[in-house]
Amino acid sequence: MAPVIRVWGLLLFSSLLYAQAKDPFIGSQACRACHLTQTQEFFRNAHTKAERGCESCHGPGRAHVTAGGKKDLIIAFSALSPQKSLDNCLQCHSKDWSRNNVRRSSHTQAEVVCSNCHSVHKAATPKHLLANQQKDLCYGCHTDVKAQFSMPFKHRVNEGTVQCADCHNPHGAPSPTWRMGQRPRMQQHAQANEQSCVQCHADKRGPFLFEHAALRVDGCGSCHAPHGSANPRLLNRPVVFTLCLECHNGAPGFGRQGQGIPLQSGSHNMADPRYQNCTTCHVKIHGSNADARFLR
Amino acid sequence: MRHLFSLLLLAAAGYAQPIVAPTPERAGDAKGEDLAGYNVVNSIETGYRFRNVDGNLGKYRSDVNFGNGIRVLGSYLTINSKKPGSGKLFDEIVLSTQGLGNDPYQFSSLRVQKDKIYRFDSVWRWMDYFNPALTIADGQHAINTTRQLQDHDLVILPQSRFRLLLGYSRNHQDGPAFSTIQFPDGRGDEFTYLWNVRRTRNEYRLGTEFEVLKTKFHVLHGWEYFKDDTRAPLFSPGAGANPNDTATLSQFRRDEPSHGQAPYWRIGIHNEAFKTFTFDGRFTHTAGQRNFVVDELAIGTGRFSAAQNRQLFVGGNARRPVTTGNVTLSWFPVERLTITNHTALYNTRMEGDGSYGEFANGVAGLSFLNFQYLGIRTFSNLTDANLKLTPWLGVYSGYHFSERRIGSSEFEDIDPPTRLERTEQTNRLHSGLLGLRLQPVKQLRLSVDGELGRADRPFYTTSEKDYHTVAARAQWKTKRWSLLGRYQTNYNLNSNSLFVHSARTRLASIDGTFTPKPFLTLEGGYGHTHIETVTGLAYFSLGELIENDRSLYRSRLRQTRIGAQFNLARRADLYFGYHRIQDAARLGRSLMDQAFPLTYETPLARFSVQLHKKLRWNFGWQYYNYKEQFLALQDYTAQTGYTSLSWSF
Repeated sequence: MAPVIRVWGLLLFSSLLYAQAKDPFIGSQACRACHLTQTQEFFRNAHTKAERGCESCHGPGRAHVTAGGKKDLIIAFSALSPQKSLDNCLQCHSKDWSRNNVRRSSHTQAEVVCSNCHSVHKAATPKHLLANQQKDLCYGCHTDVKAQFSMPFKHRVNEGTVQCADCHNPHGAPSPTWRMGQRPRMQQHAQANEQSCVQCHADKRGPFLFEHAALRVDGCGSCHAPHGSANPRLLNRPVVFTLCLECHNGAPGFGRQGQGIPLQSGSHNMADPRYQNCTTCHVKIHGSNADARFLR
Repeated sequence: MRHLFSLLLLAAAGYAQPIVAPTPERAGDAKGEDLAGYNVVNSIETGYRFRNVDGNLGKYRSDVNFGNGIRVLGSYLTINSKKPGSGKLFDEIVLSTQGLGNDPYQFSSLRVQKDKIYRFDSVWRWMDYFNPALTIADGQHAINTTRQLQDHDLVILPQSRFRLLLGYSRNHQDGPAFSTIQFPDGRGDEFTYLWNVRRTRNEYRLGTEFEVLKTKFHVLHGWEYFKDDTRAPLFSPGAGANPNDTATLSQFRRDEPSHGQAPYWRIGIHNEAFKTFTFDGRFTHTAGQRNFVVDELAIGTGRFSAAQNRQLFVGGNARRPVTTGNVTLSWFPVERLTITNHTALYNTRMEGDGSYGEFANGVAGLSFLNFQYLGIRTFSNLTDANLKLTPWLGVYSGYHFSERRIGSSEFEDIDPPTRLERTEQTNRLHSGLLGLRLQPVKQLRLSVDGELGRADRPFYTTSEKDYHTVAARAQWKTKRWSLLGRYQTNYNLNSNSLFVHSARTRLASIDGTFTPKPFLTLEGGYGHTHIETVTGLAYFSLGELIENDRSLYRSRLRQTRIGAQFNLARRADLYFGYHRIQDAARLGRSLMDQAFPLTYETPLARFSVQLHKKLRWNFGWQYYNYKEQFLALQDYTAQTGYTSLSWSF
């Protein structure tokens, strides 16, 4: 009996050794020998939960270790093409609702992929592992937006209470539910399908008995410059009346009936400063429940 | 490593219109200390912020609003279990705060999680806004409200194939404001009245994410409740805005509660079972509804000094169900090519009905029913292809089509409404995109993009009709240098009949960072954004209809920034920065020629020194100088600064 057991034991042991030799994964312990900086603080990282440790992202490491650290035998993100880098991260991160348009996002088209904004090993923010503070990452490329946020009136992004991602989805978004459904492309949707503005400005959301159609048709951006403006209500123009008159000019072909957006009545005298502040009387300009002309 | 550290610090400190505090440098060891199986990193900055304003305090408060007083300028805490998953109740806590106690902008963010069991994220924000509204509504619509925002999300079993999602958000706005009312009628004088703003939005979320046969599902149901209990209590307004109008308003009161709910569904399907193909489906439905009442009382005298009393009562409800469906198909026929197709359908109908009753002395009571309907249906189909021709050359292109149909029913006449007019109009937009990306050497990335769009019947004179966009970008990045140059132009021409709207935006910028020594980083940037719009106008002036005027708007934004960061003997950090934004457009010569020349500059300096391993002393100063040509009354200069101690326990 004993020789039989010994033979079976030998067979089992050799097959285990063979299987281990064939297993391309070697375990995170082996990485520590060379990549001490990356591994010693890794317990803080969200990726520490990944099933195969370092090899979950960097791929099987046995061949890399056996070859004495040969670079092309491991997945090094610095050497990957943007597309492959994206594919690698999406193996795990594709399941989130907010990322299901990442492949058609403007960022992906411009080859701005995960590793351009996120840093797994040198993150500046423990949450979301961003390579820098969120606004500074965005400002890094969107220099025009940076200038707008330096205007006197703006949302408090520089002050730290509003984040770019409150309104924008950097991972790509579905078609906007305003304008023509094409632009803007990277907008967050409030609740399920509303403009991101109404997430905070809930009173402007309505519904109202008398909607100001501009809000629903072309969106809040018809009148407002959300990043910054010289106007205290973040309007696209320094004063309000030109903004209103640019649409309310009765130009044929536009509006609900194709007869133009209604022209102001003859009782208005634009030479009188009293009439140049439209919202003094049309106070409920976002929508009213009592007056079709938004007077109350 | 040192270069990177300096770069990160500088970037955190010096971008955009910077805020001098909190100090980016933290006290204590960045590696933290081990305690009962956990690693703890913490730093708390407590100090005194001061301000000195010369000029228009209201304008300063609307732009900056930092005041005097002691506060927790910032704090940072992380607790991580040394061995993943070994924590009893939690494995990670991350808490960061800003401005607590006294600042007008307060923020806290918390994450607590236990591996495989739960993850809790919470964000709390508090903002104190003051807005004198000087250049709008004749300065009569000032507001001084605070807004509190909270978002809490809990994920149960965050790493499993079945996840449970729970969430709660709250948004509360509160404070006094001023508004205006016309009396005795819509053509009457404007009177300012006090308004107590009180709005609350509560949102509850419950959902799940699960995976079956390599297909991931997301199902979430949310309930949003909103109530606006803003009211104008009985108030005795002062004189009207128009000195030539003899009407008076001695008492005014208005209650206009509006309460409603918007339950919504989000359903998502993501499938990547096939190597060359992925599918994303998304369906949402929101059923918004608001019930409202407007109860208003106004007592005064009319234009001819006769007593005028007016009471008004409106009640009803409004509804807006919104439904969207989106399907995204991604196809990877070869490794270097990705083709995506996105189809979206959006449908909404806004309708409401209300009863209007008005009673005024000497006039027969006015009572009628209002009804209005606005429906929008948009269909979009967007196809994009992304091809990597060689490792250094990539192209992408796209063709986008959308069609929007707007139907409406509205009364042709109001006061009282008579004939209901039904209308419908359709707009189609075709657009094409083309982009080129080059990376000739590792350090240099170049890109050029263009988009061309054509719409046949835009809704507004200012909507996009015939537009194009061209953008180019060049980035050079090495360990010491980072340079970014950018140019973009957007042009839109919307012409119909004799009316023309034309808008053009051009922007160009260059930004750079240079780290010549490990202890020194320099940065600078310049950008300009030019905006020009021309729109045909028609309006009444002195009873005459003016039809051939034009509205011109010009903006010449120029932004300059420089900064320098020094690290002295690894113990002290010194930062100097200067930031200036200027709108250099010439002030308009006529009423309809609009520009807003202004200069806004903020030099700042900050010093932080390590007194002890766990203690730093910080000092900072920032100067604001605001000047405008439009209304010089708004100019101000302000000095803000702070001194603080950052400590770690």
